[in-house]
Amino acid sequence: MSEKEQILVRYGGSRKEREIFLKSMMSPEGKPEVFDDVMVLDASYANMSGDICSSIFAEFGAEVIKIEPPEGDPSRKITPYGVNRNGTGVPFIMEARGKRYMTLDLRKESDRQEFKKLAGKAQVVIETYQPGQMDAWGIGYRQLSEINPGLVYIAISTYGQYGRKAQEMTDIPDTDITAQALSGAAANIGDIPTEEEPYNWPLRAGVWLGWYISGILAAQGAAIALYYASATGEGQMVDVATADSYASLVGYPVTIGFTWVTPRPRIGKHDFCLYPYGFWKTKDGTVAIAASRDHDFRGLLKILHLWKNEDDWRFSFDRIPDMIPLVEEFYKIIESATVKYTSDELINKALQYSIKSARSKWRGGGVPIVMKVQKPSTTVQNPHWEKRNSFQVFDEPDIGKVKLPVNFIKMSESPPRVKWVKCSIGQDNSYVREKYLK
Amino acid sequence: MENYFDYTKKIFDPAQVKEKPDVFKDLRVLDFSHVIYGPTVGKVLGSYGAEVIKCELPWVGDLWRFGVYWGKFWKHSNICFQFVQYGKYFFSLNLKLPKAKEIIYKLAEKSDVIVENFASGTAETWGVGYSQLSKINPAIIYLSCATYGQYGPMRFFPGWDLLAQAAAGVVSLTGYDGTDRYYKLPDYVGDFLPGNVGALAVIMALNYRKKTGKGQYIDLAQTEAVMRMMPNFTYEDIAGQELGRTANTDPAMAPSGIFKSSEGKFVAVAAATDEQYKGICEAMGHPELVTKYKDSWERLKPENARELYDMTGKWVGSSTLDSLVELAKKHHFAIAEVEGDLDITGDEWRRERGSVVMVPDEMYHRLLLPGPSAMLSKTPGKIRWLARPLGYHNRYILKKLLGYSDEEIQQLEKERVIGYWDDKPGIEPPVYYDIMQDPMFNYRGE
Repeated sequence: MSEKEQILVRYGGSRKEREIFLKSMMSPEGKPEVFDDVMVLDASYANMSGDICSSIFAEFGAEVIKIEPPEGDPSRKITPYGVNRNGTGVPFIMEARGKRYMTLDLRKESDRQEFKKLAGKAQVVIETYQPGQMDAWGIGYRQLSEINPGLVYIAISTYGQYGRKAQEMTDIPDTDITAQALSGAAANIGDIPTEEEPYNWPLRAGVWLGWYISGILAAQGAAIALYYASATGEGQMVDVATADSYASLVGYPVTIGFTWVTPRPRIGKHDFCLYPYGFWKTKDGTVAIAASRDHDFRGLLKILHLWKNEDDWRFSFDRIPDMIPLVEEFYKIIESATVKYTSDELINKALQYSIKSARSKWRGGGVPIVMKVQKPSTTVQNPHWEKRNSFQVFDEPDIGKVKLPVNFIKMSESPPRVKWVKCSIGQDNSYVREKYLK
Repeated sequence: MENYFDYTKKIFDPAQVKEKPDVFKDLRVLDFSHVIYGPTVGKVLGSYGAEVIKCELPWVGDLWRFGVYWGKFWKHSNICFQFVQYGKYFFSLNLKLPKAKEIIYKLAEKSDVIVENFASGTAETWGVGYSQLSKINPAIIYLSCATYGQYGPMRFFPGWDLLAQAAAGVVSLTGYDGTDRYYKLPDYVGDFLPGNVGALAVIMALNYRKKTGKGQYIDLAQTEAVMRMMPNFTYEDIAGQELGRTANTDPAMAPSGIFKSSEGKFVAVAAATDEQYKGICEAMGHPELVTKYKDSWERLKPENARELYDMTGKWVGSSTLDSLVELAKKHHFAIAEVEGDLDITGDEWRRERGSVVMVPDEMYHRLLLPGPSAMLSKTPGKIRWLARPLGYHNRYILKKLLGYSDEEIQQLEKERVIGYWDDKPGIEPPVYYDIMQDPMFNYRGE
């Protein structure tokens, strides 16, 4: 980096200059890839967490070969309200990032032999069959690690690959909603107990929380295993249980269950640790407000003209009592003020206040944050994401034009990228045979 | 041949985790981050053996030390903080003083990874940004975490997990259509997930560095990481309409949903594939439905999915959980009880698996923590020790890593360059603990 560029990266550089510089610094064009020497065999079946995991490898440059039966992976048909393009569902298209698609019927012995041959040349294998299925077919970790000791073998299932529960539940397939239920996510979303049914029931998160967490963390574990393999030549097995996903990611269910010994109630729009930290109605919509630190809170009271309440709710611990009616009361006090303004007015007020307090020499004015609650349809229109190339449109003959969220990690030397989005069944059969099975 | 589960039990045996090697044992991470999002990166790297030095402001400390569950501390510490910060070294120095910067530069020279999650540009103004530290150590991997990233018109906007969720649009997906009730993804998923994505990015950069010897700068935007798990953008592009909120069913599977069983337990049931659908119809005693909606496109249409949802609800409402699980085993569809905090803590299989671990600790005696998310058979993640009071490892780091003498350290203390806790829960040791007898806190050197 030249001296000038370094100055630009700094805070003092003009906004435009910094933007141009960082954008080119993070651009994937012409840059090397981390895993350009890695081949991934993705044999995931009827479980999108495997496809999500292999997507991450493909984005980081690995050659990912998805193995599916001749009739196609059933997860092609797992799509919201059946929406599809030429028989392939939306989530499957979204995760068809830079992969090769090959058909092999693993139920047949001859195809299993071919799979084994491929696995001999692979660095990573991903599978989501019922625990023990691949092993029974003779292509599990036990057999493949014999022919390929450096192999990293990722298995994703509901209860993992070992232990009594895994054995007992082998016949029950894995889905996202059961993963959310088992890992403590669903139990903690939903309204307070006094609300009417079904609002006080456990609620499913509106995204595939279980599967996405499992897929991303499987990729993380495998990347660690590959790092170890490159140093020692030793591969290993990476076992991800979707029933762990949420609980092991956030940690709260376990530590709170242990220390407080009583279950948390569902508290819906409220929060256990921070307040105000949630959503409030305005004249024309809903805003998210986060002003939990005491000085942020004081700022919020000032801009909402609620200073008379300062005495009752002064300290952060006043604002998170373990009494839900009290929190509800507090929620309504804030709501009484927010409904008087439009969302944009509130955002503007908070911003003006924050700018003023940042410039004050005491620096204690606080930063109350107000933000409009976006819908996916409004998020895509935000010019910020356009500047950061967060979305990309692909136009492929078999799928047509599709828009995908991409570039979720920006790296200066070896950034991830999506090279194509194609997923016809068996489209790369001859390519793979030519390259790996000759 | 040996039974598969005996074999896997042997290679994953949680009792042997301690003896297995650490992948990142020669790695040093300098962690300037605070709250949850940035520190998660260090936690992940630390659990695989990296030496993570967490830097905090003396007498004040990490904001999240006070982010307690319903205002209650645990042994003068915070369980929510414990989970994000285990296995780290706690170093407390005032980054803004020139003498502290000298120490930071010395540490940066010896480090491999640096993590920061201040508002974008702040680290640069404080002289610890990528442009400054990469000059000292060109092979450094520098991760900047921010809600909206380091460039773009919104980069100055402050953010929390909630704001990332709001800006990504994920909050408008959970809940019931036609109501104004908004539910966030709980427990700061908007921090933890991007934090783990950050760890993933660093591990990728480490893989790259291993091959080429080159470090790099990583710009991670929390909101983009949340957007990565939303198929909604693609859906709206293809379907031409919004997916909207999904209540407690999965619109990609029919039937699917969370229902109440006859004994009042909440149960999630789903059939993702044609095969599972056939199974659930047979289990319900409605084999005629198999042919009625043979095609999954037909089945997933909102009105048909609704019909299946209602039927499944009635069926689950008149059965017990155990009988349903037995049927699921026989007919191969997905079912699970909705587990709350206490169920997860009490589950025997999770302890057996090592996904819930009782961590013994000298200072806090014991705490139940979740184990690693991905179990690695040869190099598993470990929890080495729990979080520590503010500045607990000051002497260890200055003496062991930088070779400072006792007099120099005293001088630094006097000039308030380094510091310790104040009389405040969250940053101080537990009352029963005699810190003056602690060999690590009073590190004397070999």
